[in-house]
Amino acid sequence: MSGEREEAPASGRRATAESMAAQQRSISVSEFFTKNRHLLGFDNPRKALLTTVKEAVDNSLDACEEAGIVPEIWVQITPTNNSRFKVAIQDNGPGIVKKQVPLIFGKLLYGSKFHRLRMSRGQQGIGISAAGMYGQLTTGKPIKIVSKTHKTKPAHYFEIHINTKTNSPDILNGKGEGEDIPPGDKGQAYCQKNEIEWINDYPLENPEDKPQPIASGTRVTIELEGQHKRGKGSVDEFLEQTAIANPHVTIHYWDPEGQSRTWRRATRTLPPEPKEIKPHPYGVELGRLMTMIKEQPTSTTLSAFLTENFSRVSAGVARKICETAKLSTRSTLKKIAQSDVDKLFQAIQETKIAAPATDCLVPIGEPLLLQGLYQVVPGEFFTVASRPPAVYRGNPFLIEVGLAYGGTVSTKKVNKEELVALLNETDARTVKQFLVSTFDGLGPDGADKIISASGIGTRQNPSKLKRTEVEELFTAMQDVSVSETQQMQLYRYANRVPLQFKMGDCLVTKTASSLNWRSYGLSQSRGALPNGPLTLMVHVASVWVPFTSESKEAIASYDEIEKEIRLAVQTVGRRLSAFLRLRSNIRQEGERRNIFLRYLGEVAAAVSDINGFNRGQLYEELLAVAQKKTREADTKLDKHGKRVTDEAELNSDNVLIVETPLLAGEGLSTGGVATGKGQVHDTEAVRSLKKKGAPRAPRTKREKTKRTKR
Amino acid sequence: MAKRKQAPAETAKRTEPVKLSSKDKKTLSSLVVMADRVVEAAHKAKPPAIDIPSRSLSNVRFNKAQKIIEMGGGKNKRELFNLSQAKSYMQTMLVGSGCKRLIDEGKTTSIRGLYYLLKHTIEGTKEETFNDQAECDPVIEDVEVALDALREELHLYAQTKGAMVGPIEITDSGDEIDCSRMGSGGYAIPSIVEPERIQFRKHAAKFVLHVEKDTVWQRFNEDKFWKKHHCILTHGGGQPPRGVRRLLNRLHYELKLPVYCLLDNDPWGYYIYSVIKQGSINLAFESRRMAIPEAKYVGLRSKDYERCGLSSSVKIRLNDTDKKRAKQIASYPWFEHKKEWQKEIQQMISNDFKLEVESLISKDISYVTEVYVPQRLQDRDFLD
Repeated sequence: MSGEREEAPASGRRATAESMAAQQRSISVSEFFTKNRHLLGFDNPRKALLTTVKEAVDNSLDACEEAGIVPEIWVQITPTNNSRFKVAIQDNGPGIVKKQVPLIFGKLLYGSKFHRLRMSRGQQGIGISAAGMYGQLTTGKPIKIVSKTHKTKPAHYFEIHINTKTNSPDILNGKGEGEDIPPGDKGQAYCQKNEIEWINDYPLENPEDKPQPIASGTRVTIELEGQHKRGKGSVDEFLEQTAIANPHVTIHYWDPEGQSRTWRRATRTLPPEPKEIKPHPYGVELGRLMTMIKEQPTSTTLSAFLTENFSRVSAGVARKICETAKLSTRSTLKKIAQSDVDKLFQAIQETKIAAPATDCLVPIGEPLLLQGLYQVVPGEFFTVASRPPAVYRGNPFLIEVGLAYGGTVSTKKVNKEELVALLNETDARTVKQFLVSTFDGLGPDGADKIISASGIGTRQNPSKLKRTEVEELFTAMQDVSVSETQQMQLYRYANRVPLQFKMGDCLVTKTASSLNWRSYGLSQSRGALPNGPLTLMVHVASVWVPFTSESKEAIASYDEIEKEIRLAVQTVGRRLSAFLRLRSNIRQEGERRNIFLRYLGEVAAAVSDINGFNRGQLYEELLAVAQKKTREADTKLDKHGKRVTDEAELNSDNVLIVETPLLAGEGLSTGGVATGKGQVHDTEAVRSLKKKGAPRAPRTKREKTKRTKR
Repeated sequence: MAKRKQAPAETAKRTEPVKLSSKDKKTLSSLVVMADRVVEAAHKAKPPAIDIPSRSLSNVRFNKAQKIIEMGGGKNKRELFNLSQAKSYMQTMLVGSGCKRLIDEGKTTSIRGLYYLLKHTIEGTKEETFNDQAECDPVIEDVEVALDALREELHLYAQTKGAMVGPIEITDSGDEIDCSRMGSGGYAIPSIVEPERIQFRKHAAKFVLHVEKDTVWQRFNEDKFWKKHHCILTHGGGQPPRGVRRLLNRLHYELKLPVYCLLDNDPWGYYIYSVIKQGSINLAFESRRMAIPEAKYVGLRSKDYERCGLSSSVKIRLNDTDKKRAKQIASYPWFEHKKEWQKEIQQMISNDFKLEVESLISKDISYVTEVYVPQRLQDRDFLD
């Protein structure tokens, strides 16, 4: 500023303090976020679509769980014109009382979650209103809400505009009061007449069943400018990942192309209700401490303030803090000066205070996590591990990890029509870019392999491919084995919400990449995620998840969290390596058996030629010896001469192995005299390995975990 | 084994029962013992295995008193349920069954014949029981040592290799043969030359000259060297087969004829001499019947290039394998303490070239028959 003044000639002053003052005014939050919408996850049309769905789904799940309702969610996205979509999310939650509806959806930073320390998906109370604001900004259409709190009470219908200047809702319908929809059939007629959308009944499991009406719930409809594209960072992916971490949720999804998909819940048991805790002294910053002191009645004593507002502060601990701060426990807050707060803050840091109670955290739980993973990710091996709660900066947190191995590569999941659609949708400039950005875990190496196999040029524009070229690309995608070059897929979760962006910035990614996966029998480039048909999910549950930004896309680095993630991932890594070892042993055993089997018939015949012994009988006997022998060969002994079995490690509740024909270990048990069936089985096993994961129905399971109906 | 092979065997047995010699009975019984062990192991649910005396350098020892190589007691276990041995185990049993059939039918066959007899595709696979004869031959030798039976006792013989000419009359399978009237081809030495088959009738020979190969033998035969020097002239077509070695052994011991060898000056020639003299490592169990510890090495010698004044164009450079093999031979216990031989081998290595017997032709076509060998014999200039 001073520099400017020097350079500016005295006569040509551009502005005076007075004229500048005329322009100085307060900025409303709404205005601020209108300009900085990327901070909230609305950087581009595609992400805006996803963020809208995400915020609404998060709110719905939080509400359902808080009310103790088993959540069922309907997500409908319909294109209205070229780049506009109508996004509607309905839940069967408790509904919202009439008075609150406009505020919740029409005012930024209004919510119930910000001021309490409790594990929930939403934290700040920006999300859904920001989505509505974005819609309003791009299409001018209001945000529409239907909310029903009871089966027999009227539902409320609102159309709201957010006044960005005042950060307050303007209700557009019912003369600024909203409309009431009567319950029952009357209401249905009313909805139809006024074109209000509302799903009345749960979908039927059986056509004969009586329709089950949805007693309560909320439906939000936002029209916005967006872009629909499948693949990484898409709504599909978000919902799928949500289903993994929330096995108690059923999600119905209609995508913009009119296709519908349902993720069914694996359990009807809700996670236990998270407890709200008081902040832990270590987690409170100086500013917050000052605010807290101001909020209290001035007559409160220092001791009472400390014990009542913080967790783990007893009278004794409070005394110690006060002693260290050289303040009296009996002095009232009125007497506490600014400098005293500073002393108090320092004293807190120096006093030893027990870690906060961790019963406020609600993990997904190993069995449910395993089921969720199994239902959504195709694979042959699943395992989960969870860590006991730990604390960072005074906030309790907990890590859960799941790992799936095997399954089809994403490139093999699409059919030709879908590929054509994807090629048309993409904005990638080259085919390689298209492949890498569309298919999860493919990686540039895998893309190169596919492209060179298809024989099309690497720098080809994907939308300008000829029909024959598309066909070649499709064939190559089906044929080329990319499971080796394929990179591990990492699903990150914070309080059960999938994180889909800013993967590189996230602590979870950094931790997973820094581990040495080679020791678990996987290939890995330095500092990268390992390769192979792997899916790793990491769930960070905390009363306050440290995100790197408001858009909640990446978890910030804390040593305590990193350590817990590392330990949990190492646990599942060890189990995976045990499984891989077991599998290769079984494969070797199969090969060995085949070799023996091949020669047994010849030996039996030759021996019987020499001494006239019954050939068939000898063959059977030799076969029995062969079986025994190959089994023994696979039994390893440890230092103390005890049997070491990988099965022991794998034989627990937190592991699930899907049996493939290869693992079933056929080969010797069947076959008559020198049938040479070994080879046949060999090829069958190989074939079934290739197509593994495609049909889910005929699988059997080895583990105790009950398989749920699909 | 496929069924089709058994049918003709049985009919042959029925129509014309084969008379089994006592040797055949002994061989058969040891074959049956081998087969019974498999059945026994299978009954006890134990993995079947067969002990095969090891035919390697580590399992031979040099009998200094008798100056022959003998096989030690080392045995290799061949197991059916061992990945690397499963196939050879199967092949061993196959060879056993093939020999049993030959004995039953009273026929003999060449080892190549046996290979064809046993070669077939393993049912349900694309794999052959034997890929080539080279895979079959060692298995036959394994069966020989495992059963302690000679090749002829298994009704097998090798391909005929080697010839004989000279002032000797023999009876071969009842036919009288005068080896001085065999023309330019000579008498082809059969694979089996045991006294049951070949008897010596009378001879006028003073010694036996064994040359390495056919081409040199032709030279001597054409020059009627054997007539002039009263000797029996043989060759073994390189490394002499067992028939030739056994015949030399019989000529030496039964007719008391000294044996002289004319071989190339290279590691290969040295080893041929070594095999004739003290037996081979591979067939150490046969040494007693085959080795001739008194056999002498006439030439060619490492010093012959200079001694005979050969032109430099006949030199053949030693390659790495030659040098390695020469050092190996020099370290064999039966060469180790022979100063003359150590000097001989050392000189060849320092010469850095080898000489074939044929190189003497560069002096004169008949130099070898008229000068070289007569001079050595006269001077009694041999290596022992």
